[in-house]
Amino acid sequence: MTSEYVPGLEGVVAAQTAISLVDGANGRLVYRGYVIADLAEDMSFEEVAHLFWHGRLPTRSELDALSLELAGSRQLTPAAATTLAALPADTDPMDVLRSVVSVQGVEHRLEKPTIPLAIHATASFPTILATYHRRRRGQAPVPPRADLGHAANYLYMLNAKESAPELVHALNTYLVLLADHGMNASTFTARVIASTESDLASCLVGAIGALKGPAHGGAPSAVMDQLEQIGTADNAEHWMRDARARKVRFMGFGHRVYRTYDPRAKILKAMCERLNPKFYELASRVEETALSILHEEHPERPQATNVEFYSAGVLQAIGLPTDFFPPTFAVARVAGWSAHVLEQSANNRLIRPQSEYTGPEPRKPVPLAERG
Amino acid sequence: MNLPQRQTVVLSTGSLHLRLVPDFSPGLEGVVAAETAVSEVDGANGRLIYRGGYLIEDLAPVASYEEIAYLLWHGELPTESQLDGLRHQMAAARRLNDAGRGALMAMDPASDPMDTLRTVVSAQGATQALTKPTLDEAIPLTAVFPTIVGAAYRRRQGKDVIEPRDELGHAANLLWMMEGKEPAADRTHWVESYLVLLADHGLNASTFTARVIASTQSDLASCVVGAIGALKGPGHGGATFAARTMLDKIGSADNAEKWLHEAHARNERFAGFGHRVYRTYDPRAKILRELAKTAAPELHRIAARTEEVALSILHEAHPERPNATNVDFWASVVLTGAGIPKELFTCVFATSRVSGWTAHVLEALQDLRIIRPASVWIGPAPGRKPLALAKR
Repeated sequence: MTSEYVPGLEGVVAAQTAISLVDGANGRLVYRGYVIADLAEDMSFEEVAHLFWHGRLPTRSELDALSLELAGSRQLTPAAATTLAALPADTDPMDVLRSVVSVQGVEHRLEKPTIPLAIHATASFPTILATYHRRRRGQAPVPPRADLGHAANYLYMLNAKESAPELVHALNTYLVLLADHGMNASTFTARVIASTESDLASCLVGAIGALKGPAHGGAPSAVMDQLEQIGTADNAEHWMRDARARKVRFMGFGHRVYRTYDPRAKILKAMCERLNPKFYELASRVEETALSILHEEHPERPQATNVEFYSAGVLQAIGLPTDFFPPTFAVARVAGWSAHVLEQSANNRLIRPQSEYTGPEPRKPVPLAERG
Repeated sequence: MNLPQRQTVVLSTGSLHLRLVPDFSPGLEGVVAAETAVSEVDGANGRLIYRGGYLIEDLAPVASYEEIAYLLWHGELPTESQLDGLRHQMAAARRLNDAGRGALMAMDPASDPMDTLRTVVSAQGATQALTKPTLDEAIPLTAVFPTIVGAAYRRRQGKDVIEPRDELGHAANLLWMMEGKEPAADRTHWVESYLVLLADHGLNASTFTARVIASTQSDLASCVVGAIGALKGPGHGGATFAARTMLDKIGSADNAEKWLHEAHARNERFAGFGHRVYRTYDPRAKILRELAKTAAPELHRIAARTEEVALSILHEAHPERPNATNVDFWASVVLTGAGIPKELFTCVFATSRVSGWTAHVLEALQDLRIIRPASVWIGPAPGRKPLALAKR
């Protein structure tokens, strides 16, 4: 029996999962039973990764072991380092990540996805990005530091110095908030690839490719660009009404799943206010204006600020360049991607949907010489 | 909330009607995930239809790979001058750029060739800024696959990489870059036929992967790299390798009966059998089986006996299921006859399918809606409180 075509598979159940639940009606994001608001401020990214991979929060000794294993897997393979060096210094960082994660995961023969492989891949993302960022600025790479946590070490490798604890904490919270989000397009991509019994690197590389799309992870830089165009809080109303008249989309608004305010956006908004007051002053006014215009146009739709909107201000405060927003999203989401791959592999069935043919009825080809 | 729905009311084009929604169809079996005119797998009638409405058995004997790529991209078969134009464009785009070459040379020569392909295509497709997929990107990307496959093969053998030759067609050039010798016409024909037959096949897992990635408005290289990753799995493109490996283990026609019965008793799956869509003999497998007689007579004998025994065992076990020889089974024999080592089977599959992948991506752009399905929550009830680290 074939079901009707549902564009975007909206509402079509494609998997069973125990990793995360996007409870859109109640505005809750739940990681393995824990509501995100209970995890965001106090958990390290490593603890959340453990939660995803093993299904429970780690004990002290399990956390120490995982931290040690992550720290021990941060180095790039020689092939990965050489590939990174071969890419032009003005390459889109998402293309760098896609290519170098692909090399870093190269094998001599097909391996089944495992937790050690997930740890290895997750550990390498910050190294790839920091190495590339320093290279494009003509700086030597900074070797990772095993005594630093995942977030702290990422910033250390980018800047060659330790960042202030509040910035490390902010990055950690961002990574925790973005680590998983139900059956989003990149996670679904990873699961489709896993369903063919392919390897973990293939799943992650596909997911990076999906995250790159502006309709998915590519949006944070768009938020920044729009805020820059608006310029000042006082200009928001004028600019946005004018933009709307020209059918310009407001960046950082709209989500298919949440019917209330995105719980991650709420936490990021509060962080923005603390860490990036200048951004906050402009962004909060833009948000207010956008929501009011959107409400006028579609009163039936819910409050629609999405996670990208305030992420931009947090990542800017941390000191990341705008083009590093999407790949830093990947630094967080790889924990979720790999957990979904493991979950898919544990109870697998090839994901092979149907299509509906819209072409002409069968007919005979005309020989080459008689065409045209 | 993502809870299973037993009944939903769906409003479509103004009419209100009721439909039943399955709780969860594992593997999205029977779920329509796209509308397409690129190809149609008519499983009930055992037909594969390529864009424009052409049946695969009408195209395979007469069309070159370039003609098929043109058909999948444009929706119609090319005239002679259009075909010439495409051949020139492809021949001119066979060389790797600096990033692609750099990535290729960085790889350990012993790497899985699919990993080399995945990586080099990613590096070759790296750009400064996001670009929308276009046909002008699809053509060079398709053209460069044989170059990477040939180079991966040469490097595995510790040999120098060979430069492409512009005057050779796509299939002949692949063999040339593997071997550094101009291939015999019959071998080129077998490879060409394979490339034509495998160029597209409805919404298979790798094509679906490419379309999911395209739905986020990502770039063409990202879509193709993801598709390569999906094709690598033994549940998909890796199956041709598995079929050949099984034939190697069986070794002789006389051994087929004993080997297959023992494997069946061990609950081992037979490689090269079973397909979700076809209810009759796969039309591609039929064509390849015929080609295999001349391409690899010795292996054809083993394979024919293996097929006979396997189908009879499968029929006894599941009399309700249809004839289940799939394309991978006979493809493994034809590719062997064409001189392709089994380590390259999946790469050569990708070399064919990339025209289909890119055609699907370009088609998907016409009506972009992000593919973001739902999931059913099977985890602990939401709202439990985390214990502080020291108390765990």
